[in-house]
Parts: sequence; C-alpha cells; structure tokens
Amino acid sequence: MHGTRQRILEATYACVARWGLSKTTVEDAAREAGLSRATVYRYFPGGRDELVDAVVSWQYLLFFGRLYEEVHGASSLEEVLERGLVFARRSLLEHEVLQKVLDTEPDVLMPKLTVESNRTVGLISAFLVPYLHEHGMAEGVDAHEAADFVARMILSYISSPGHWDLADPAQVAALVRGELLAGVVSDTEPVTG
Amino acid sequence: MLDPARRAPGRTTPAAGPTRVRVVDGALACIARQGVAKTTLDDVARQAGCSRATVYRAFPGGKDAVMRAVVDTEVSRFFSTLAVCMGEASDLEDVLVAGMTEAARCISTHPALDALLRLEPEVVLSQLAFGRMDGILAVTCAFTTPFLGRWLDPAESRRVAEWAARIVVSYLLCPDEGVVLTDAGHVQRLVRTFVLPGIRALSLRAGAPGPPPPAVSPPGPGTRDAPRASTEYTTSAFTTKGEAS
Repeated sequence: MHGTRQRILEATYACVARWGLSKTTVEDAAREAGLSRATVYRYFPGGRDELVDAVVSWQYLLFFGRLYEEVHGASSLEEVLERGLVFARRSLLEHEVLQKVLDTEPDVLMPKLTVESNRTVGLISAFLVPYLHEHGMAEGVDAHEAADFVARMILSYISSPGHWDLADPAQVAALVRGELLAGVVSDTEPVTG
Repeated sequence: MLDPARRAPGRTTPAAGPTRVRVVDGALACIARQGVAKTTLDDVARQAGCSRATVYRAFPGGKDAVMRAVVDTEVSRFFSTLAVCMGEASDLEDVLVAGMTEAARCISTHPALDALLRLEPEVVLSQLAFGRMDGILAVTCAFTTPFLGRWLDPAESRRVAEWAARIVVSYLLCPDEGVVLTDAGHVQRLVRTFVLPGIRALSLRAGAPGPPPPAVSPPGPGTRDAPRASTEYTTSAFTTKGEAS
C-alpha cells in the first residue's frame, strides 16, 4: 500500500536527520516506523541503499513540489524566475537536514544529488517552455534549447550563488534579466516593485 | 644515493624540485590506474623510481601531503593551459569559445580525474557541493576575469567569467548530446546563441538606470549568502559552521 511506503520514507528521513545517511540502517527505519524489517524489505528489496536513495529522491521531489507551488501562479517569466530563485535559495539554506548532511557527508550525498539534479533539468525545462512561448524569444532561439539552458542556470545559481546574494531582490532581478534571460528572450520586463 | 635533487646547486631544501615533480607525476599515474584509496606510498615511490624514504623526505606529511601536492600541481597546470589559449584569443567570442572548450577538454581528458570519476566519484563530487562550488567559482573567476578585461569592463568581466564557468560545470556534470563542450563548434553555437547576446544586453543596460550590479567586493559579515572571495576552494559559503578543512 502507498501509505506504508510513505510511512517508511518518513521514518527513514527521521533517522537520517538524527544519524546521517551512512549510519541509518533498515533496522533503524523499521523500528522508527513501527514495522518489521521484513515489511521494509518488501517495499525496498534493495535494502539500505535503495531506502536511502529513495529518501533523497523523495525529499528532492518534495523540494521541487514546493518550488512549483511557489511559482506556478506567477504572471510572467521574469516573476517565475525571481520568485523561484529567492524561494529555492532560502529553502536550501533553511533545510536543516540537508545542511547537516552536506556538512558531514558530502561524499555520500553529492553523488546522489548529481543524479537527481540531472533528472531535474528536464523537469524545470518542461515547466519553462510554455512561459518562454508566451513571453516570446529572441530570433533563432529554440524554446526547448533555451528552457534547458535556463534550467541549468537555475540549478547552478540556487546551489552555489557565487558572488550573488539571492536574498537581495535587486540582485535577483538583475540576474534574471541578465545571465538567465538576456540571451534567450527578445526583451525583458522592467523591474517592478 | 643518486637523488638529483640533493645535488642540484643552489637548492636550500634537499628534496625540492625534481623529486617533488617525479613523485607528483608518479602519484598521478597511480591514481589514473587505481584511484586514490588504493594508492599507497610504496606504489608512488615505485612509480616515481625512488625509495619510500625519498618520498617522505620530499613530503614529510606522507600520502595526504602527496595528494595535496597533486591537486595543487594539476590546478596550476589547468590554469596555465587556460592562460595560454585565452591569452591568444583575438576577440570576445574567441576568448569564450577557446576558454570553455579548453577547460572542458582538460577536465574530461584528464586520466587521473577520469579514473576517480569511475572508481571513486564521491572524492570528486564531494568537492562540488554547494558552498565548495562557490569557492571553485571564485578561484576560476579570479583567474579568468582579466582575460575578458580586454573586451569588457571589470564588473562585466567578472559576471561573464562566473557565468561561463557555471556553463562549463553544468554541461560536464550533466552531459547533453547536443552540447558537447569539447567540440569547439558546439561551444561556439552555445556562446553565439546565449552568451554573447546576453553580454550585449548587459552592456546596453550598464549605462541606464536599473538594477545594481552584484557586489564586486565581498560583503561584510552578516550577509548570509555572502560569497567568500577566498582562494581556498573548499570554503563553505553556507554558514559559519565551517567544514572539515
């Protein structure tokens, strides 16, 4: 049943928050979920590795689900990107479990995150295509190529902002109209607010 | 013992120079064959054609010190290769295409790096984690910005340098069959389609009232997102918690 799988994921996440990725075992997850080890193995036959991968994927999708909620009502491409960058960066910084694991087990987390983020380029890109069409693109720019490029830049800036401060709306507006969109669309909307 | 470094005239450190280079190159060959974890100092000494004691004299810190020297040497080699090709460029498009293609070529054809990504990807990927990547971007940016300065003003050069570095990292980590960065034709298309029009738009806006450029100097303490304009590429830009080393 779907509910049991979800219960196992939540229990595993609680264990990861406490002990980290490497030290979390099937036994821990089962105890936390109040289930038997056999039940956990029924849902995750690959055991510990599959369980931990599933938790990372689940949290990753949750994050992008919230990001989607944050931006999908926006009225323009610029607004989508501005709201998205600010929200995503803040969420990553405030995500205590992520920060803890990044600090203590980057060697375990990063290979998993790299796989997830490669999948995400396609998701973000598909989300952006209609906005690009609606906005209008620079001459000779293909919507899918452009969306892919912008998606890559979004992922790059939210995980490592470099010399940008994504808590500053003026800088975010400049970044969106510069590096993210300047080569992609014919003209960007002026900064509002 | 016929250790040439010991005989070299004018050297204050007995084992400096040739021995260090031989050891570093020996270590690189070992890593390319078997990764970092399985490489022992004996392997390195054998590969370098010297004794374990000689390796220790050159690197009293042992394996860790050898590995740090390998990273330092390879980073220097990487940047000097970039300097040559970017320095020869004749215009802005050329400097971007040459720099990005050469960077991608160096990284993707590096035998030791290639072996690491196959055998111990976590060793490489953990260095690309969020805050650490900020450090890598800062170092790369500090190095490549002056090469762009022939065609762009300093603030633009810095923005574009960081932007180009991100593009290279993105396509290397998440390959796209349509954009192969080691192919200068592909890079040229990418640069012409997205980067140059972007730079033109930035330049047009530079004179007009509009959003401020990003801080070019490191903001003071208290800015949570503050970049650390540090040359230490393992610095975390996240928090003050600090990372191990």
